[in-house]
Amino acid sequence: MAVFDLILGLLLVILVRKCLSITDMFGAVISFMAFGLLMAVAWVRLEAPDIALAEAAIGSGLTGALLFSTLGRLPHSETRQPLVPRGSGSGPGYWLVTGFWWAAAMVLIATFVFSFQELQTPGLGGPLQERLAESGVLNPVTAVLLNFRSLDTLMEIAVLLAAVVVAWSMGYVDWPARQTIPSPLLPGVVRLLTPVFLLVAFSLLWRGSHAPGGAFPGGAVLAASGILLLLSGMTVQISPRGMSWLRWVLSAGLLVFVLAGVSLMAAGFGFLVYPEQWAGNLILLIEASAGVSIGAMLLALYVGGEPDMAPSQPNNPVSRPQ
Amino acid sequence: MTTLYLVLVGVLMGNIAVGLLRILRGPTAADRIQAGQLFGTVTVAILLLLAIILEKPIYFDVALVFALLSVLAVVAFVTRSWPHPDAKDQDEQRD
Repeated sequence: MAVFDLILGLLLVILVRKCLSITDMFGAVISFMAFGLLMAVAWVRLEAPDIALAEAAIGSGLTGALLFSTLGRLPHSETRQPLVPRGSGSGPGYWLVTGFWWAAAMVLIATFVFSFQELQTPGLGGPLQERLAESGVLNPVTAVLLNFRSLDTLMEIAVLLAAVVVAWSMGYVDWPARQTIPSPLLPGVVRLLTPVFLLVAFSLLWRGSHAPGGAFPGGAVLAASGILLLLSGMTVQISPRGMSWLRWVLSAGLLVFVLAGVSLMAAGFGFLVYPEQWAGNLILLIEASAGVSIGAMLLALYVGGEPDMAPSQPNNPVSRPQ
Repeated sequence: MTTLYLVLVGVLMGNIAVGLLRILRGPTAADRIQAGQLFGTVTVAILLLLAIILEKPIYFDVALVFALLSVLAVVAFVTRSWPHPDAKDQDEQRD
């Protein structure tokens, strides 16, 4: 396995180097996606399945779709322009500076690696395992994210919502973007895959309590199914009522989280301090609402602006981006 | 059996190395995206083999998420950034 790890590390470095130095944007995007794929394998090798799941869902899937759609929106000439002027980055000065920082980074990493060997493995894992029973869930990562350090997760969701607010403040977007190439294959594939996406998204959400998974990967898969629908040419017309629905869905995660915290405070436990017998159910409630909200927020960020409302019609069938 | 799986992982890593050449060289966008798709498929296969070698069934799930989401990139590429002159015109009209 050591050889495998070595090759994996080498490929990662090559891809990063290419991603940063390649002269056209398309090549950079493709290198970045390949990097995301291999990085997830690296996380698997580091025995961090939670991060591998997040990397698989967000790193390669969502970012890939986002970057390709961005490339498609740019004028053709711009995507062909080199990111860095040719010839820069090959002089002796460049190699001197890069070489210096590279050597410095290597020394730093080596120092870290050698000092880690003196640390007790698994670090905070021991105390966490001791108190896992209090958390109400069986997966230590979920226990940290939604119980012991739930304030951090609350803030992450708030940041995501703030990002959506900023994106919407940029203006309206023509959401049902026209499908550029009519393909008989695409709608069929999407019809087959959408139920599978939804199934996987909710199974990831559900299993977060006892195995790697949870709100972020689940939400990302949910958003991915929405993006797939949009890409396949689904047209969405949002009525004013649908818009208010959408706003509730977007903010549900944060609302439920804050409400849970405040009502626990009112009951005398302290903000987001779960009593042991309710912890499991509370975490499930917060995680489910956060997962759906995260899915909607990531989809909204992909769309990149406030969806333009259709003129009010009584029979608008689609109100939620699912 | 594990030895066989390890050898297979090695062969798959070789696949990735060859695909890397195609990603770096191109020459066309289609070559690159296909190499990217090859990366996706090979990564899924490697993850499945690692799940068996390391006896960690959770990696089956990671592989499942990968297999699902690799569709997204290629669909985004084909519908949004495929260099298609008519598509470009439509885009500019829309904007």
